[in-house]
Amino acid sequence: MRTLRAFSALLALGLLLLASGCSVVQQGTDVLKGTGAITSDQANTIKTTSETIRSTFGDISEEEEYYIGRSVAALILSRYPVLQNAALTQYISTMGSAIALYSDRPETFAGYHFLVLDTDEVNALAAPGGLVFLTKGLIKRCQDEDTLALILAHEIGHVNAKHGLQSIKKSRLVDAFKLLGTTAIKTYAPDTLAKLTGIFEDTLGDIVGSLVERGYDRKFEYEADGLAVKFAGRAHYDTGGLTRFLKTMVGDSSAASGKGWFKTHPAPQDRIKEVTPAITALGAVKIADARTSRFKQAVAGLK
Amino acid sequence: MKIRKRSLVLFGGLLIVLLAMAADTVVVVKIQTTAIRQNPQFFSPALVSLKAGDKLTKISESNGWIQVKTQTGLVGWIHSSAVDVPKVNLLASNDPMKTQAKASEVALAGKGFNQQVENSYKSKHTELNFALVDRMLQVKIASNLIEAFLRQGRLGDFGGAK
Repeated sequence: MRTLRAFSALLALGLLLLASGCSVVQQGTDVLKGTGAITSDQANTIKTTSETIRSTFGDISEEEEYYIGRSVAALILSRYPVLQNAALTQYISTMGSAIALYSDRPETFAGYHFLVLDTDEVNALAAPGGLVFLTKGLIKRCQDEDTLALILAHEIGHVNAKHGLQSIKKSRLVDAFKLLGTTAIKTYAPDTLAKLTGIFEDTLGDIVGSLVERGYDRKFEYEADGLAVKFAGRAHYDTGGLTRFLKTMVGDSSAASGKGWFKTHPAPQDRIKEVTPAITALGAVKIADARTSRFKQAVAGLK
Repeated sequence: MKIRKRSLVLFGGLLIVLLAMAADTVVVVKIQTTAIRQNPQFFSPALVSLKAGDKLTKISESNGWIQVKTQTGLVGWIHSSAVDVPKVNLLASNDPMKTQAKASEVALAGKGFNQQVENSYKSKHTELNFALVDRMLQVKIASNLIEAFLRQGRLGDFGGAK
């Protein structure tokens, strides 16, 4: 009898493994239920568990990240005007899209997109999912394409590591997942929708607060610098561009720097110290003449 | 005799488990649109376009790329960041009823923070300009332009002069 039970358990295990390979837990439980290995109630328990197990930022789906990112982008765009310079936007977008291909997460739900903000403030921002913003003030600080590439790679690093989603308060996620986990339908009833919208709004507040006002945790910035060197290095950019940029920020107390980058990032000298070993390990890279000339052409009209 | 019979039954059960583990893994596209490529690189010709929810059979894996087969039998490569691999981690618990299954992208498709939630948020914040966000999302740089940019700058797969 015990042998039979052991065999049944192994059979159930095998079928469950098969089911997990075929699709998801839902299908697996149906297979088990069909064999009589588990009861209907037990199957439902597995299904419910699989739906409500979400507990951390890593459980936010790609599609949800996309919707969060869209609204974060709308909030950023409510603070800054867009620079009307099609050639520069095309140049930044092409460079950013190229670097993203050499990142650890080249594909996101709706892809990477880039925009230049018309402000002298020195800043760069990335909304979850891959919506990246650079300010005109920051671009004017860059001396060459490779420096600009490292800034874009830093922002792509934030998207790769999901730093925006990581800044959502844990309790907020617990509330959201609790509400979502018990709702199997795609269209919400008015009371559920009202609650979800409230949580969504607070979620955006957490992200924008970190992104624009308080800044990310220092460790996230160092991590993004490390990823910038990794991704731009893979694309064969001169990763020394990052230190070239950071050096322009050392000792700069101008209002343009203070409002953006300085307020939300660790001291540039600390970042230089932290990232230099990785840059040195990659060695120097010759900047091709074509990069120098197209960079000069792209930024020529900036005032 | 009894012990031998028991061993045989257990062996049979184990065999089923091993066969199950060796069975094909199905991966599911989790992003809006992507493509299967001839070789494991972005500048390789696209064989077929895919959309979120499309299912593929995994054949092998190499440097972040997964070799897959479509339901029509087409074989090619897709980047691992574009797909979800549904998993059931049975080692997480002795009780199969408490399996630590991660909610998959498929199970969550269209749920959670979705278009309906965005519309509800938008109606409360009419000052936000979502049309600008839509315009930003419409700008997509074609693969051939990215390749030309990299070639011209002697970057990535097309350069690297030290």
